[in-house]
This record gives sequence, structure tokens and C-alpha cells, in this order.
Amino acid sequence: MEELSRIQKGTWGVLLLLALIAPFLVNFDLYLIHVGIVITFNVMLATSLWLIWSLGLVSFAHAGFMGVGAYASALLLHWFGLPMWYGLWIGALLSGLLAMLISIPLMRTKAVYFFMASWAVGEVIKRVFAYFKGTFGGWDGIFDIKPPVLDVGFLQIDFTNRVAYYYLALLFGVLTVWIIHRMNSSRTGMVYWSIQQNELLAQHIGINVFRQKVICFTISCIMAGTTGALYAHYQTYISPHSFDIWTSEFALVHVIVGGLTTVGGPVAGAISLTIIDEALRATGYFRTMFFGFVLIASVLLLPGGLETIPRRLRELFNRSTGK
Amino acid sequence: MHELEARNLQMKFGGVTAIANLNLTVEEGEIRGLIGPNGAGKTTFFNACSGRYPITDGEILYRGEKISGLKPHEIATRGLVRTFQHVTLFRRFSVLRNVMTGNYLHSRHSYWGSLLRTRSTREAEAASERRAREILDFVGLRSIVDQEASTLAHGHQKMLGIAVALAAEPRMLLLDEPCAGMNSDESREMIGLVRRIRETGITVMLIEHDMKVVMGLCDRITVLNFGNEVADGTPEQVRANPEVREAYLGSQTYAA
Repeated sequence: MEELSRIQKGTWGVLLLLALIAPFLVNFDLYLIHVGIVITFNVMLATSLWLIWSLGLVSFAHAGFMGVGAYASALLLHWFGLPMWYGLWIGALLSGLLAMLISIPLMRTKAVYFFMASWAVGEVIKRVFAYFKGTFGGWDGIFDIKPPVLDVGFLQIDFTNRVAYYYLALLFGVLTVWIIHRMNSSRTGMVYWSIQQNELLAQHIGINVFRQKVICFTISCIMAGTTGALYAHYQTYISPHSFDIWTSEFALVHVIVGGLTTVGGPVAGAISLTIIDEALRATGYFRTMFFGFVLIASVLLLPGGLETIPRRLRELFNRSTGK
Repeated sequence: MHELEARNLQMKFGGVTAIANLNLTVEEGEIRGLIGPNGAGKTTFFNACSGRYPITDGEILYRGEKISGLKPHEIATRGLVRTFQHVTLFRRFSVLRNVMTGNYLHSRHSYWGSLLRTRSTREAEAASERRAREILDFVGLRSIVDQEASTLAHGHQKMLGIAVALAAEPRMLLLDEPCAGMNSDESREMIGLVRRIRETGITVMLIEHDMKVVMGLCDRITVLNFGNEVADGTPEQVRANPEVREAYLGSQTYAA
């Protein structure tokens, strides 16, 4: 419905190309490739969180659902010896199933009440992992979650290789962004945004608002679950701490700094803030403080987020050429 | 079979009785006015019909089918659509997109279609856009299709509200004060629009405070006061009814 302009298409193309050749650009530096993988995870989390935002809702349960995917996949490996190829899908589906069930009461709340209820959901999920020590390993978490090996006869790829894992994560990252973009630029997006704009009117012209909210939340949490499974097998270690409120909050910050109106916003936010965060690692304790400064500065100096930069540049250009 | 029928309808909010015991029928093809002093229960009646608030007692039938107890979207699906007294739009959407969203029920939205952008989805989207443009032509907002709804003048916003409701392709339309806050030119335009809507076969029921509009436009008028029906009839009958005068001007025994 809303076609991308040529410039937008070009920007996405360049971004994808850069992502594809990134390992070569950094000369296979393992640390930088690690940053690349973290970026992909953050992009997946931020964009899927943004999908819920298109309904006008801010969910703080996102990290919890990421955890469901991660734990499911890790436990499938430990209990049944099933590699990530199974855990990825089963974890994502379990996360979606749980999201669907929970969203039935959750979607009866609105605005700040939704925010608090979703926070509680995320916290409960985390505490369940911590409480049942025998099943989920308690606060100690689960160790030794092996990355998978792809074996299709003539070709064998071991994903303990970081470059290989980067491309695997990138594949899912691109898929996530593509799906969300497609949904958002079609009538599905129109329905979601209409609910955000005016829920009352949306109901009265025949949209089953409750159903659309449940579906949207479920799809988003399936994506979070997928991210969780990929995260677990990359880090090889997960604990409840990996999925607490901060993870949701960072995803939200990525969305806000990036911009709220197009999928490009959260992508730009996740990429730039992950890089800034890593660059600040050397500052030790001050890292969080600097991160806070960057956040406040971007909200104050760049209202609307990074996605408004092209428009601002255009306006600046027009002004300077006197048009 | 009546187009719309309320039987012993009662609406209470806590201890407040908004509608005490209302019986009324609206026939197919008419323009029905619903008038009464502030707090008479007019908007409450619309809220009951559209499923916005649950009714306390009685029932509401639309084309012989019981609709009280249904959700707003289920009632809209059956062809009964309402507008709101205050400007109610998708404010950040363009005028065209507002109306396209209104066309939701008739544009077969599917998730797979959105994802894969199949041929049938693209065709359905194009058809929905054509339909939206037709409706905007009909309403008279053709020249501003690309403007954002929040930037429109008040009169245009009210018109757009009706266009959104029309896009849901109702068989009956409930208009809550369509002329509220309009100047006389805009009011005249609105009256013309309501007449044209009726000509397309849509039954109209409207709440309006401007007596000139009501008397000139409606085939029949129902008068409410304190949640009860005081009068029902043609504009002339209603105008001549002493109880209506009393409701609006106060009792003569006290006034004298």
C-alpha cells in the first residue's frame, strides 16, 4: 500500500549489503563480529517491540518472552538432545502460545495499566526460571548450550564459528525486519495504527480490536522467542538475569531513539545505540552514565528520533539553497 | 419488521437512570430525528445501539435480530454504524486513509495477504482505495484527500467522520449531532449530505439540537425527556405537542 521511495529502497539495500560484507570489512575481527551479532539480536528485539507499539502499547514483557524461547531451546537440547534447529521453532512457538494466552487478560488493560501489567508478566516469567531450580537451573542458569551444526551431506557448517553464527543471526534479523515491514506497510499496519489513533472509532467501524491486539502481541512474541533461542545458543549460557526488565527497557530505548513511525526507526536505534554502548565499554562504570547522556541528548536534540534525520537534512538543504 | 426497535430499554449508570423505559421503532428508509433537552438520554440511546455500553434491561433489535449484548464491531458488521458527537477520527491519517480504514469490513484483510502481497491483496487494496475516493467525492471532500485529518477545519472533520462511517457501508446510520459547531453554510451542506445519504437507501437516525435542521430534515421526530419518550410524530405534530413545549420551556403552571 505504502510503497517505499527509491531513496528508502536504496538505503535498505546499502544497509543489507554492508551487513553482508561486514565480516570482510572488519577483517574477521572476532570482537567486532560479536558486536555485529549483538546488533542483530537488538534489531530483532527492537523491531518486534515496535510492532506492539504500532497498536499504541508499550510492553515490558518482551525480555520475558525472549527468555521463554531461550529456555525452551536450551532445555530441548539438554533433555532430548535436540539441536537448535528444533529449539528455534519450538521455542518461538511456545513463546507465541504463552503470549497468546497471557494477552487475553493483558489486552483488557490500557495505556499505563498495560505497561504495568506487562512488566509484571515479564517479571513473573523471569522469577519462574529462577524459582524452579531443578527444571530451569535457578539463578545459576543453564550452561553449555551448544550452537548447532548444519549438515546437509555435501556441506557442513559448524556454528561455533562466529562468522557462521553472524550470518545465521543476520538471516533471522533480515527476515524479522522484512516481515514487520510488510505487515506495517499493508492493511495489517493500517488496522494496527488505526487502533493506536482511535480505538473507539476502530471498534465502531467493525474492527475486532481485541482480536487484532492478541494476534499482534503473539506475532511479536514469536519473534522475541526466536531471538531468545538464537541468543541462548550463541552465548551458550543463559540465566534469569539475561531476561530481566533491563533487556526490555534497552529495546524500548532503541525504539524511542530510533523513531516511532517507521520500521527504520528501531533498526537505526538498535544499530547506533549498540555501537555506542560497545564503544563506551572502555569507560567502565561511567558507561551507563554516558549511555544515559546519549539517550537524554537524543530525545532533547532529535525529537522524533533518528528516522527524522533524512527529513531534517532535506529541510536544511532546501533552506541553504534558498528554496 | 422494523429497521430498528427498542423494547423496554433501560440504561442505568450506578444510581443514575439515563434511559428509564424506552420503546421506539424506526422504519426502513426514513430520516428520524431524536431530540430532547440535555441529559434526556439521546446519546445514551446511541451508545446502547452501537454496543458501546451494556444495556441494563430490555432489548434492541436491528432488522428483527437482537443486537443488544453484541460488541461494537459485531453490530457494525450487521450494517448499523454510528458517528460521534465529538470529532472522532484517525487524526494522524490522511483523509483518504481514514476512509480506507473505514472500509475495513469490505476489503478482506488477511495476514498472509499482507505478508506475501499477493495479487488478490493488491487488487483488494486498489478496490478499497477506489471505493474510498468515491465516498469522498460523494461527501464533497475530494479536494483534500491527502491532508492529515487533524489539520482540517471543524466542518470538514465532521464530514470526514460521516465519510468514515459510510465507508463501512451501513444500511442504517446513527448520526450524533452532525451539525454541532457548524456555521450556517456548513450546516446547509450537511443537510444536503444527509438527504443524499437517504437517497442511496440508508436509513438515518440523527440527534440534533438545531431545531431548524431537525424540522426541515426529518420525516419523523422522537422527543426524549428524562430517559422517557414524550412524543413521536411528524415535525408538525411534534411542534404542536404541549408536552414537548413543556420539556423544552418548562411547565406552564410554574411559568405562569
